[in-house]
Amino acid sequence: MNPTTIGLIAVAVVFFIDIILLTGLVSLKAVHRRRRRIHAARRAEYVTVLSRHLAFQHHTDPFGTNIADDDAFLDAVIDLRNIVSGTEIDNLTGIIDRSGLAKRQEARLRSRFPLGRRLRAAVSLAEMGDESSAPVLIEHLDDREPEIRIQCARGLGRIQHTSAIDPILERFGFEQPWVRARFADTLVGFGTKATWPLVAYIRVNLGHDQNQGVIEAIRVLGTIGDQEVGPTLAGVLRVASDPEVAIATIDALGVVGGPLAIRPLKYTFRHPDWRLRAKSATALAQIGDPSINPVLAEGLEDENWWVRRNSAGALSILPGGTDLLLKAIESEGPFAADAAAEALADSGELAAARARFEAGEANHGDRVLLGYVTAQEAVPK
Amino acid sequence: MGRSAIISEESESEEKLGPPMPDVKRVLVADDSATVTTLLATALELEGYAVDTAINGVEAYEKGITGEFDLVIMDQLMPGLLGLEVIDRWQQEGHVNRVIMLSGVDDDRTVVSSLDLGAVDFVRKPFHLPELMARIRQRLLG
Repeated sequence: MNPTTIGLIAVAVVFFIDIILLTGLVSLKAVHRRRRRIHAARRAEYVTVLSRHLAFQHHTDPFGTNIADDDAFLDAVIDLRNIVSGTEIDNLTGIIDRSGLAKRQEARLRSRFPLGRRLRAAVSLAEMGDESSAPVLIEHLDDREPEIRIQCARGLGRIQHTSAIDPILERFGFEQPWVRARFADTLVGFGTKATWPLVAYIRVNLGHDQNQGVIEAIRVLGTIGDQEVGPTLAGVLRVASDPEVAIATIDALGVVGGPLAIRPLKYTFRHPDWRLRAKSATALAQIGDPSINPVLAEGLEDENWWVRRNSAGALSILPGGTDLLLKAIESEGPFAADAAAEALADSGELAAARARFEAGEANHGDRVLLGYVTAQEAVPK
Repeated sequence: MGRSAIISEESESEEKLGPPMPDVKRVLVADDSATVTTLLATALELEGYAVDTAINGVEAYEKGITGEFDLVIMDQLMPGLLGLEVIDRWQQEGHVNRVIMLSGVDDDRTVVSSLDLGAVDFVRKPFHLPELMARIRQRLLG
């Protein structure tokens, strides 16, 4: 055979293989599309029958056989579970129990593989929110797959299974940050029911090797915002040697608020670490008690720019704070005036002063502020 | 459940409502979720109402201008036109429809805007079906 013939045969072979692959691909796509259409139609049928059962509790229309194995039935149940509330949830839960749907998903979750099917089972159990699935969801909080652990925690949060709070917290110190963050979301969903387990977790683990878990737990407490934890957080702030823990605690105290939060924050506002001082200024502003204005005014003279900036920002939103900022502009201090002027510009006070000046209604404070800003603009950069 | 059942159901849903019967109240359910429309249509039909459905804002608007509905249950977030936009257009064009807004959007602004535009009620998703049905009955009595 000459080279031309060999070349032609090679081209023909490649062409033939391409045709086979293309045909296979098109067929697969068609099969997949058909399966999706059938699935959607079956799902719609199930939604109709389930709707009859929900609309009339004593409805007797049958669902068919082996529905627990039918993913279309599962999807229909989850769809309806997400749009109804109250007694319909109980009604749906009864249907889930009678059909064996939850048990089927639990068995899939317990199987060793494939991962996709196990993950879908975990998501389905989380979506169905059936109380009877709580033991299996708790069991899989330490599953080898992180996404399955997350879904199990989510499911437990969805059914508000409070005895799952401790097992979720037990995983806190060991989890990767992204998993821990999702666990934290679940705990926030428990609201004040999670407060005391979180406090206990922090007390036991503070100062040990699980500071990342403690930090996340403090953040969760801050997000829940239960004022009862003020004294606990104040205690944490007193003994925390890790600045990350202290910063998370300061943030949480700012959200939790209340008079019990002010005292420890005043203390950290004078801490040698500038990060703690800057955070404390913001937290004090969040609490919004004008009695701390004189303390924040001290922060305008701080050696650190962030502390001055946050203190000025805090004063700009607190009642009576603007007067202190204007006083700082007139002060002899080298830094306070800059921070104060910047905060007044950010809060809109500078624009308001300009407007009053143009209208001939400027007061002493307006003239001080405008004079300072004009002088700064005249300084060559 | 065979394919024939599926086909007959699809063709049923495509059928237009017949001429209005004197005593049967007519309700339009507009929601882009087929699950919501199926659930509400089933519940309403079981109570003896004649129900039509719309799966987007444009379809809801077009069906609403016929003026043949005693009540419209409308989702806020729909493709084509938002629920509020549909009500607004009806109002501007002088079409009067009593609307119960049904929405997963939970901000106060949407609730206030809906009521300002003339919606007679606002129900948040997920909803309690007997409560929603009671509200519908009450509005249809009125």
